[in-house]
Amino acid sequence: MEIKTISIMLILVCAITSQAYGSDIESRLSALEKTIQQQGKTIEEQQKVIGELKEELKKTRKEEIARAEEKPMEEPKTQKATGLFGSSALTNPNISLVLNTFAYTSNLSQKELELRNIPGYTNTGIENRKGFNLDSAELFLFAPVDPYFNLYATIPVTEDGAELEEAYFVTTALPYGLQIKGGKFKSGFGRINSQHPHAWDFVDIPLAYKAFSGPEGVTEKGVQLTYLPPLPFYTLLGAEILQGENDILFGSDAKPGPHAYTLFAKASFDLTDNSTILFGPSIMTGKTKTDSVADDTEFRGTSTLYGLDFTYKWKPSKTQSLTVQSEYLYRRQNGDLEDTVALTTEPLKRAQDGFYLQSIYQIDRWRVGARYDVLGLFKDDYILSGTNQDFGKKPWRASGMVEFNPTEFSRIRLQYNHDKSARDGKTNQELFLQFVFGIGAHGAHQF
Amino acid sequence: MKKIILLLLINMCLSTAAFAEVKVVTTLPWIGSIAREIGKDRLDITTLIKPNQDPHFAEAKPSMILAARKADIFMYNGLDLEIGYLPRIIESSNNPKIQPGKRGNLDCSQFIESIEKPSSVDRSMGDVHPLGNPHYHLSSKNILKVAEGISAALSGIDPGNTSYYNSNLQSFKDDLNEKLKQWTKKSLKGRRYVTNHKYFEYLARELGFQIIGYIEPKPGIPPSAGHIEELIEMMKKTKPDAILTTAYSGKKEADLLSLKTGVKVKVLPHDVGASDSARDWLTLMDTIIRTLE
Repeated sequence: MEIKTISIMLILVCAITSQAYGSDIESRLSALEKTIQQQGKTIEEQQKVIGELKEELKKTRKEEIARAEEKPMEEPKTQKATGLFGSSALTNPNISLVLNTFAYTSNLSQKELELRNIPGYTNTGIENRKGFNLDSAELFLFAPVDPYFNLYATIPVTEDGAELEEAYFVTTALPYGLQIKGGKFKSGFGRINSQHPHAWDFVDIPLAYKAFSGPEGVTEKGVQLTYLPPLPFYTLLGAEILQGENDILFGSDAKPGPHAYTLFAKASFDLTDNSTILFGPSIMTGKTKTDSVADDTEFRGTSTLYGLDFTYKWKPSKTQSLTVQSEYLYRRQNGDLEDTVALTTEPLKRAQDGFYLQSIYQIDRWRVGARYDVLGLFKDDYILSGTNQDFGKKPWRASGMVEFNPTEFSRIRLQYNHDKSARDGKTNQELFLQFVFGIGAHGAHQF
Repeated sequence: MKKIILLLLINMCLSTAAFAEVKVVTTLPWIGSIAREIGKDRLDITTLIKPNQDPHFAEAKPSMILAARKADIFMYNGLDLEIGYLPRIIESSNNPKIQPGKRGNLDCSQFIESIEKPSSVDRSMGDVHPLGNPHYHLSSKNILKVAEGISAALSGIDPGNTSYYNSNLQSFKDDLNEKLKQWTKKSLKGRRYVTNHKYFEYLARELGFQIIGYIEPKPGIPPSAGHIEELIEMMKKTKPDAILTTAYSGKKEADLLSLKTGVKVKVLPHDVGASDSARDWLTLMDTIIRTLE
């Protein structure tokens, strides 16, 4: 009974409350509809905005791609040029040109100069013209060939045309401290011989080289092997097999095939951080056929040239340095001298020596230097058919020079020679004003 | 007798073991200093250019060629700075390991972006480097990259010690970043200086100071009287904070300028070892920044 009345009452309460809320539901529904419509509108608006944004994104992406296409791809770092061999030319070889030109005057006449040889040593005279001289414009080309070879060429261009003075490869991949050079190159004999004339400290070559190897030194076709052992101090050992075409020492017709051989050694120590000595013996030997002994003669036989070189350098800073350099050469020759006019032949033995000592002092962009040259210092044998010939006084020369180097690429040099090499008592007083300029790739300097 | 021979043999073995460390040859002292940070005592380092030498104008001394002969790895500054002697040292070394293109040939400039790269250059402009200013070592940004490069290169030729090199690299980086906080705190921003040579351009960019004039009219060209006069006029007007010069460039011109303008001269070490306090790269930077302040 009690349960019935409670449930009825509950139903009644429910009915009353639902009736009371009946009108309210309708209004709420319409409100709901309104909000749904509004939300629909905002969704539409938002979709519009999203669409616009999408379009904008597409545009910017396109622009970015276009921009990226305009920009070249940055090269990977490992492809970056290294400065080792100069980098401005990656595919072309490095090229440089050195102009070597000078003005010359002497107290002797042009005729006297042409005939001014060194009797008993060489019949080569002086080729310089009074006035303006163009030694050469020397073209250098160099570059690595591949990971195994570097290639070098020196092509001096003179008024007579171009000449292939040097053209050689150098190996870079041989083990055990070995290196092979092959082609046509300046021999490693001695000190000054392997330097280019524009790198010399004086305009002209020392008398000893002029007498024993000619005014340009020994440049030959052949092959060179050097060995640099890993010792506590620098020691370079070298050997060469050469064709033997040097006009004075050998001669291209002396023998078919290679007929000149060289051995040399160089040792070097740093005495202090700023001072270094470099020295070593050299020997060069081969078959000879030359017309350089005297005019109207031909000499056939063998020649051996011994050399001893010494260099001391002191360089405390870039603005100051001192170099002392000296070489002693000794030449032995044995064979027959033919008089090409009288057609007589006599045995000739020559044992002669030569020496020079030079010193250069540099302060800032200025360099001053002095050189003393002598031939027949200890030995002057010219034994023709068993008799030692006397050609007169000992040949010697003293030189002084002053240089201004505006930069490392330009050099202006004034040089005076007091030359007593003709053995006739006459002095050749020579004056040179030399200009050396280099353009193009920066070549590395020899020590 | 046998005992003596045996002892000698043992001795030889021991000495070869001691020489098993990697042989590093560097041109400039700072490169040696970074290599030392990475490899510590596991490297045998030879530096060819002395701190008092001008790195532009060294000569290929036979002793340098000999050092290169024995090198496992040859590290150099690059950007043509060593062009006058480096190619000859490398070629004459007869050492295939350090030839261009080999692992043992490390051009440190490959890790950095050079500045002041001229769009065209000829030598009438003086000793301008076509690849950009080669004095990039006075910059922490650059040194971090070079240190990473050196560490990678050492790991390449000595893989057994890779983790050793890496952990040393990390501690060097930490040291450097710690120092960098001190350096950037110093207020060098806006300072203006006159210098001898283009040595401090990278540092100027990093620390925000300015180089407003050069004693050299063009890189590598000594000043004329006319140029000095112009410089004096300019300095009287602009009143720079100091005249900077390096130990190897000398103080002659700087002192003259100082006398005429009253601006004081500051001699900075340009490389590790150029002053007593510049013992390694970090202390080099310390010394320079302390002196600039």
